[in-house]
Amino acid sequence: MPAPAQRRIIFQHIDEPGYTNDLACYVKHGGYEIMKKAFQRPPAELVDEVKKSGLRGRGGAGFPCGVKWGLLDKKSGKPIYLVVNADESEPGTFKDRYIMHQDPHQLIEGIMITCFANNVKQAYIYIRGEFPHGARILEKAIAEARAANFCGPNVLGSSYGCEIYVHRGAGAYICGEETGLIESLEGKRPYPRIKPPYFPAVLGLYQCPTIVNNVETLCHVKHIAAMGGAEFAKIGTPNNTGTRILCVSGHVQKPGYYEFEVGKITMGELLNDVCGGPLPGRKFKAVIPGGSSAKVLKFGERFKGKRKVGAEMVDYDWAVEDVPMDFDCLGMIGTMGGSGGVIVMDDSVNMVEALANINAFYAHESCGQCTPCREGSLWMKKISSRMVHGAARPEDGQLLKSVADQIAGRTICAFGEACAWPTQSYVAKFGDEFKGYADAKKTAKPGGVTDLI
Amino acid sequence: MLQVTINGQPHKFVDGLTINEALRQIGVEIPTLCHDDRVDPYGSCRTCAVEVKGVGALVTACNTQLREGMEIQTHSPTVEGVRKTLFGLLAADYPAEAVAQFPDKQFHRYLKQYGVKAGGSRTAPAPDVPFMQDASHPYINVDMSQCVTCYRCVRICEEVQGQFVWKAWNRGDTTRILPVRGETMLDGGCVSCGACVDTCPSGALEDITVLARGVPTEWTKTICSYCGTGCEVNVGTRDGQITTIRPSDGPSNHGHTCVKGRYAFDYVYAEERITSPMIRRNGQWEDVSWDEVIKYISTKLAETIKQHGPDSIGVLSSARGTNEENFVAQKFARVVLGNNNIDCCARVCHSPTAAAMKMTLGTGAATNSLDEIELARTILVCGANPTDGHPVTGARIKQAARHGAKLIIVDPRVIELNEFATLHLQLHAGTNVVLFNAMGAAIVEEGLVDEEFVRTRLTEYEEYRKFIRDFSPEKVEKICGVPAAKIREAARIYATSKPSLSVHGLGMTEHIQGTEGIMALVNLALLTGNIGKPGTGINPLRGQNNVQGAPHMGCEPKLLAGYVPIEEARAQFESAWHVPLPTHKGLNMIDMLDAATKGKMKAMWAIGYDIVMTNPNTHETRRAMEQIDLVIVQDLFLNATAREFGDVFLPAASSFEKDGTFMNGERRIQRVRGAAKPQGLARSDWEIVCQVAKAMGKGEHFAYRSAEEIWNEVRSLWPEGQGISYARLDKEGGLQWPCFEENSPGTPILHVDHFTHGKTTALRRIEFVPPPQILSAEFPFLLTTGRNLYQYNAATQTSRTPNNGLHPTDYLQISPVDATRLGLADGETVRLRSTQGTAELPVQISDHVKPGEVYTTFHSVRVFLNQITTSQRDRYTQTPEYKVTAVNIAKLATPPVVV
Ligand SMILES: Cc1cc2nc3c(=O)[nH]c(=O)nc-3n(C[C@H](O)[C@H](O)[C@H](O)COP(=O)(O)O)c2cc1C
Ligand code: SF4
Ligand code: SF4
Ligand code: SF4
Ligand code: FES
Repeated sequence: MPAPAQRRIIFQHIDEPGYTNDLACYVKHGGYEIMKKAFQRPPAELVDEVKKSGLRGRGGAGFPCGVKWGLLDKKSGKPIYLVVNADESEPGTFKDRYIMHQDPHQLIEGIMITCFANNVKQAYIYIRGEFPHGARILEKAIAEARAANFCGPNVLGSSYGCEIYVHRGAGAYICGEETGLIESLEGKRPYPRIKPPYFPAVLGLYQCPTIVNNVETLCHVKHIAAMGGAEFAKIGTPNNTGTRILCVSGHVQKPGYYEFEVGKITMGELLNDVCGGPLPGRKFKAVIPGGSSAKVLKFGERFKGKRKVGAEMVDYDWAVEDVPMDFDCLGMIGTMGGSGGVIVMDDSVNMVEALANINAFYAHESCGQCTPCREGSLWMKKISSRMVHGAARPEDGQLLKSVADQIAGRTICAFGEACAWPTQSYVAKFGDEFKGYADAKKTAKPGGVTDLI
Repeated sequence: MLQVTINGQPHKFVDGLTINEALRQIGVEIPTLCHDDRVDPYGSCRTCAVEVKGVGALVTACNTQLREGMEIQTHSPTVEGVRKTLFGLLAADYPAEAVAQFPDKQFHRYLKQYGVKAGGSRTAPAPDVPFMQDASHPYINVDMSQCVTCYRCVRICEEVQGQFVWKAWNRGDTTRILPVRGETMLDGGCVSCGACVDTCPSGALEDITVLARGVPTEWTKTICSYCGTGCEVNVGTRDGQITTIRPSDGPSNHGHTCVKGRYAFDYVYAEERITSPMIRRNGQWEDVSWDEVIKYISTKLAETIKQHGPDSIGVLSSARGTNEENFVAQKFARVVLGNNNIDCCARVCHSPTAAAMKMTLGTGAATNSLDEIELARTILVCGANPTDGHPVTGARIKQAARHGAKLIIVDPRVIELNEFATLHLQLHAGTNVVLFNAMGAAIVEEGLVDEEFVRTRLTEYEEYRKFIRDFSPEKVEKICGVPAAKIREAARIYATSKPSLSVHGLGMTEHIQGTEGIMALVNLALLTGNIGKPGTGINPLRGQNNVQGAPHMGCEPKLLAGYVPIEEARAQFESAWHVPLPTHKGLNMIDMLDAATKGKMKAMWAIGYDIVMTNPNTHETRRAMEQIDLVIVQDLFLNATAREFGDVFLPAASSFEKDGTFMNGERRIQRVRGAAKPQGLARSDWEIVCQVAKAMGKGEHFAYRSAEEIWNEVRSLWPEGQGISYARLDKEGGLQWPCFEENSPGTPILHVDHFTHGKTTALRRIEFVPPPQILSAEFPFLLTTGRNLYQYNAATQTSRTPNNGLHPTDYLQISPVDATRLGLADGETVRLRSTQGTAELPVQISDHVKPGEVYTTFHSVRVFLNQITTSQRDRYTQTPEYKVTAVNIAKLATPPVVV
């Protein structure tokens, strides 16, 4: 069976020859028409459409967007803010950047519909510090949109006003965690806040109710407003609606970004049919399906269980290649769809060295606020880096696992899980390699490990 | 009430507790490495994790609210395992030597409890990103190789002290706690309050005295010996020596202190401390026995009375002495000497406050409590620099402003609190009355008076209304130098953003219109109904620890213990003491010196008061002192008075070496307890006075065996203090008078539904008396004075501690404009000259002062500033006008010789 074709909704025009990121081009392609129509409708209706659409967040956690909006504390009398998470720093993820570079007005239109629907008068785009080019493009696009009354004081000539500001990030991975992001936006160190009580929907930016959504999520809002929530929900699979962008990197013939209906393509189809399979003479060894924090999958392992399809419970028995790329199926097999970053490793990769690289990243990126994460990630890095520098011990795998086990579920933010899962899954699935590393007293090739971060 | 199950047992708790608070109530202890009650829960160390049934992840007890029906496991294998791992991670590189040296540190105790060994060593090589090591601070040693990154120092410095010195730098595995700028704590703006050291669970921050002298083996709860905030502290001693002082959770300080209370105690052990009685014979001081000196004094005093009459002797008592000591001193004057020549240092500071408030409100003391700073929505700070003078109160005001209270500063100078202020009314020195009248005028004109309060509690409103018209802001802005719009804005904020609380300091009192300035301020509180309610009132920041208490105990020529006029209480005291009280009008301290100049004062006994150093216009003071035949100085040190004029020196015990009570600025009586034995032969002031009294044949009136016995006599004579017994103070902590009965909780707020002297009071119409035109071509600059955080008044104590290193000399602050005009660079030395004398000191160019005005602190003996202050006095109380002097500034060619 051939792989299903891409379905480009968000990326409809991206890479299209002659499509430019200025307002004129966007308008020529029907831009802001959906917003104009949306503004004719009662805001509550728009929120309902998003609820009906079943749209799940594309930033990592896959939380239903409509539910999130529904949690907003509207009774407080405080202003409501929208914060656009454009920090895109999960290793292996590179979709938001293309949206902002090539189609910024699509994002702005999504933002404006979201703001209108939720009575937001100020929106902030928190863009990753290392994306200066993207920030410039957004600034220019906002200025154009403002001049054309698509945002600013009197949107579309109405009394409704909404400003969008671009804020350049502080250059740390943790700035992408929504409460860390909010702190950073307030001008502080991005120390994630404790939840409860600091749920953004209640006590967010400046202690006001705040929506935090990913760039791609907000682009989907525009299309939901266009086609209606019910129609959107027909795309993809139940509970995994719409399309999503998968960013494939690593050892495949054709890495890149691809947009598919959620759940309509399997891992095998994606890697083999769409991305052209492994490099010549190599074999797939492992794949991380949703950004570096997601648990790794090992080619050759099998997943068995029961799952709900329609109204029925059916048995499944999957190889890695058979797993449908959606939130629920990936969750079921113990990993996650995460940020959509698919990282492929072939048999040239030593898993101990790969983990040493990841651990160095997390030890560097922990915000340092809470003990298990700060000290745990430090020790995981120390152990794995000692291993690859010629001093591996047979029990190191277990030692790594014992540290990781004490981090997940014990921290202030989900970084704790993000840094523990790789270690837990690598050691569990590639335990022999960890033992083998000690037996062979192996040392990583010079430059092979630390240079990667 | 919430029903909660803890470790299988049902418990009931009130609503609103965190899990940790609930556990503490039932005595269940869990590790709480990053928690300190003084700061907001943070939840970062995760060691307090507990299991809550139905919640997937572990729950941190310190910052999670207790909820109905929770089922909590505090010591399940899972959570104990988590804790052990966390401590293991933290200890892996932690220096084992530290654990061995200080096993009682909170973190070290946890390691022991969880059987975790520290895996590091002090000799281990430093990591790539090194840990901070700093031994440059005089009191605090920093060794961040022991830091467990609990952020307590960062948070306490920010949330309690408001100084923002510490900050986490870098992230992840290279997270380091470092000063926010520069290399050292002092670079980072540290004001040495010691809060971070006190909270640090590991010893990364440690008192240098503890490292040098060891951990204390005994703790004594007592009251700080410096300012009138009255911080409760715990004095730690080892082998009878003070090794550290830590804040206690007292009612006025809630676990905080400033550098003076926390660290400046080594004056007790200063080499220059005199610990034996001495008599000067032929110009030489000779050590003598107590018996000899007492005989000497009693004979001399008796002779003087015989030859020159009782009025030829004066006694000055000290605001640093206890209530008991002051009571005994005034009783000595009245019963033994037979005069009313008794005064104390309140004369040079807040007498105008007491007088003004007594006249207008009926009680000459703070109307409200320090705890209400947090309740006020507007805080008016008048002529005070609380962050330096009353640092703990200053820190609270800062925090209140950070949490949204509006802060209005009334001061000719920019002070530290300006950074947090809504408005700064930078008036010309000496024009307080004009400014407050103008605010009153604006309040009346704009209809912002509290009508109800005016109707029910005030009289003479109509008269006031007519009178105040002339002070309309637009009419007087030129006189006080504050733009009318600003005056109006301040008036609006004060009158509408209520409750509004006012604090004031010596910038208000030390003027010729000191008393009247306070009355003008009281008018504002009355007009707006900001009195008698929580978060309001007129609250003098009292300078010395017991400056409220000393005159209150009767060290006032016109008043007896309880702050009552002699004639009102004569009968009561005479029947209690079984002696007739002298009928002569007593002399206050200023009168005494005037009398001395005229040759009428023959003997003077100065207890803890350095007349020469403290009084303004030193030359005049010296002329007066020269005329006195017998000068008895009772102090810790051979102060300037003793050196120059002393005949007898009596070594006094410090406040760490005696028992008694102090009365702080919010009318709170608190227990002072001896933590160490007096050095050498030193004795507490009351014991000395009682012995002299006995030698003079009045022993039966002074047969006290303890401070408590004296206090009980005070209580029997002073109804408002009746309910305050030592037993209660020991059990409940400090109590605020009025407290008539043993079961009364005391009175945090005065004048709630009537004033002390009746249901209503009158608005006073205060005319402005312009300060005499003192500026001239010869003396073109206006000099004002104040104090600095690190030094305390005449600096007899602080200059004998490492505080001196933090503030070695007084500086003359001068505006950039004037400095340029005079061609002065920072640090250059100038000679200040007034009509009274000269002083030499370095300049500090600062935009905190206005052109034409200069400012300096008055602590350093070397600079001896009071040589040049004048002898203008408050019209009511004769408090000297320290605050304005006309001076001339000349650049010195060569630096002066430092003596
Ligand atoms: C450590 C960490 C890093 C994160 N980084 C990002 C990020 O770079 N971009 C992003 O959109 N969401 C990121 N998230 C997820 C956000 O916290 C948040 O869930 C998301 O912005 C919500 O938007 P969505 O509901 O539209 O997905 C991160 C989460 C964690 C725990
Ligand atoms: S889990 Fe890590 S990243 Fe998250 S708050 Fe704690 S230390 Fe910071
Ligand atoms: S001593 Fe006080 S001011 Fe200095 S750093 Fe510590 S908490 Fe801050
Ligand atoms: S220095 Fe002390 S208080 Fe500050 S973070 Fe380190 S261990 Fe905690
Ligand atoms: S004490 Fe609760 S997390 Fe530190």
